[in-house]
Amino acid sequence: METTDIKAKLTYDKNNKRHRRIRSTIIFILSLVIFVLIWWDISLLAHTAAVPSPQRTFEALVDLFTQGDLVTGYTMWHHMSISLVRFLEGLALALIVAVPVGLLLGYSKTLREFVNPMVEILRPIAPIAWAPIFLFVVGYTWGPVLVVFVGIFFPLLTNTIFGVQKIDNNLIDASRTLGASKYQVFYKVMAPCAVPYVMNGLRIGSGIGWMCIVASELYAASGGGIGYFVGLQASLFQWPNVYAGIIVIAALGIITTSLFDFVYKIIVKGMGME
Amino acid sequence: MSEEISIKGLSKVFKSDDSETVAIKDFNLEIREGELIAIVGPSGCGKTTLLRCIAGLEETTTGTISSGDKLFTEPGPDRGMVFQDFALFPWRTVRKNIEFGLEIAKVPKEDRKAQSDKYLEMMGLSAFADHRVHELSGGMKQRVSIARALITNPDIILMDEPFGALDAQTRNIMQRELVKLLEQTDQTIVFITHSVDEAVYLADRIVILTKRPAEIKEIIEIPWPRPRDRASPEFTALRKRILTELEKENTLNNN
Repeated sequence: METTDIKAKLTYDKNNKRHRRIRSTIIFILSLVIFVLIWWDISLLAHTAAVPSPQRTFEALVDLFTQGDLVTGYTMWHHMSISLVRFLEGLALALIVAVPVGLLLGYSKTLREFVNPMVEILRPIAPIAWAPIFLFVVGYTWGPVLVVFVGIFFPLLTNTIFGVQKIDNNLIDASRTLGASKYQVFYKVMAPCAVPYVMNGLRIGSGIGWMCIVASELYAASGGGIGYFVGLQASLFQWPNVYAGIIVIAALGIITTSLFDFVYKIIVKGMGME
Repeated sequence: MSEEISIKGLSKVFKSDDSETVAIKDFNLEIREGELIAIVGPSGCGKTTLLRCIAGLEETTTGTISSGDKLFTEPGPDRGMVFQDFALFPWRTVRKNIEFGLEIAKVPKEDRKAQSDKYLEMMGLSAFADHRVHELSGGMKQRVSIARALITNPDIILMDEPFGALDAQTRNIMQRELVKLLEQTDQTIVFITHSVDEAVYLADRIVILTKRPAEIKEIIEIPWPRPRDRASPEFTALRKRILTELEKENTLNNN
């Protein structure tokens, strides 16, 4: 009797919510542990300073957050905040430009047909390719911001245009029969309809934006930033610091993307447009 | 004051690259003040196109639609419209949906609220004022849509198969409610429907259309008071007569 009881308790039941959660958590932890083990193995096998062990990297990470690095004296917090500000500035700029332009292009077919060739020429260019030009023209402070802007601009623009075009024509008809002028149709019906698509553009754009900020800071930046930090530490052969920087980049990327996922869901649900 | 709609020599041709579809051809109809006129016809006969022309959502190819000396070429708040698929704004609450027309007309907030309170009450939606549209059932959605069309107090209400998307039971309830509503308002209602039963239950006059291009086959006056008894012999007889006409129309044109 007793043995079957224990057995029943230990058997996985997929209809049990708690069981499912425990299962997912175990798999998640296992995945991370195996990842670190593989890394450890590679660092031993490779036997080069360019692949430090997870332990050394972790120590470097703790030091960087608490004391900062020996060359600049800045802590990781300082670099993070600089990159974050650049990222947000680029994002804000992209929002200010891409959303109104996208709404207009979605609205006017002529305008869209006119602008489309230009967009299609510029869109496939890797945003980082503009970095040398931007740095020359607007300098080290605004250069990286502009690269982020370019990275976020295109997904935001195309999604906004798509959102306006996807609008249910009945909603426009309904608002017109209620007396709405063209202008009122535009901002009372078309713009709200496009919001979920704008949010989706932001979600996609934010991931690209982080890649842009790191890449452009690696290329050149002043005063700090995560990418700048990684580049500098690599030139000084401080490999554990380089890896610590990469981990911070990964973490920030994950946090940003999940944050936008979350905001996207909240807004779309809040607007009743799931 | 309610007005009369006069449709004269109306034609509507849809042109595409390689084909022309004549939806309506040389159509004439006088719609009386304050009546509920139902328009029935075979599917695809151009009923909806006709209604959209009256609404001003569709340009007429030839002919005029007017009320007095006012031509209907653009949509206007004098003509409210109720759509088959409700066409409600999902991001607005029930109240904000109903208030849309008032918002457009720049009615002050307190007046809007007083008005929407009245219509929420009338439609039995008071408890759902702050709900989003997706939380409502089909029948409730259509009540919101009707309230939204009524609130600006248009002279004419255009209804495009308003109960077509509802299940049979809800449909009957909505028809009964519309009858009750008719007692409280003096609007002219143009009602497009697939359902002959619905037309006989609701209308003062029924216009039977031919297959495309739409022409008037017959106009039937129904002087009976409302609410009507669907089971009464004259009701079923009239229903059967119209159904036979429509069936003839279908078979005639298929040959």
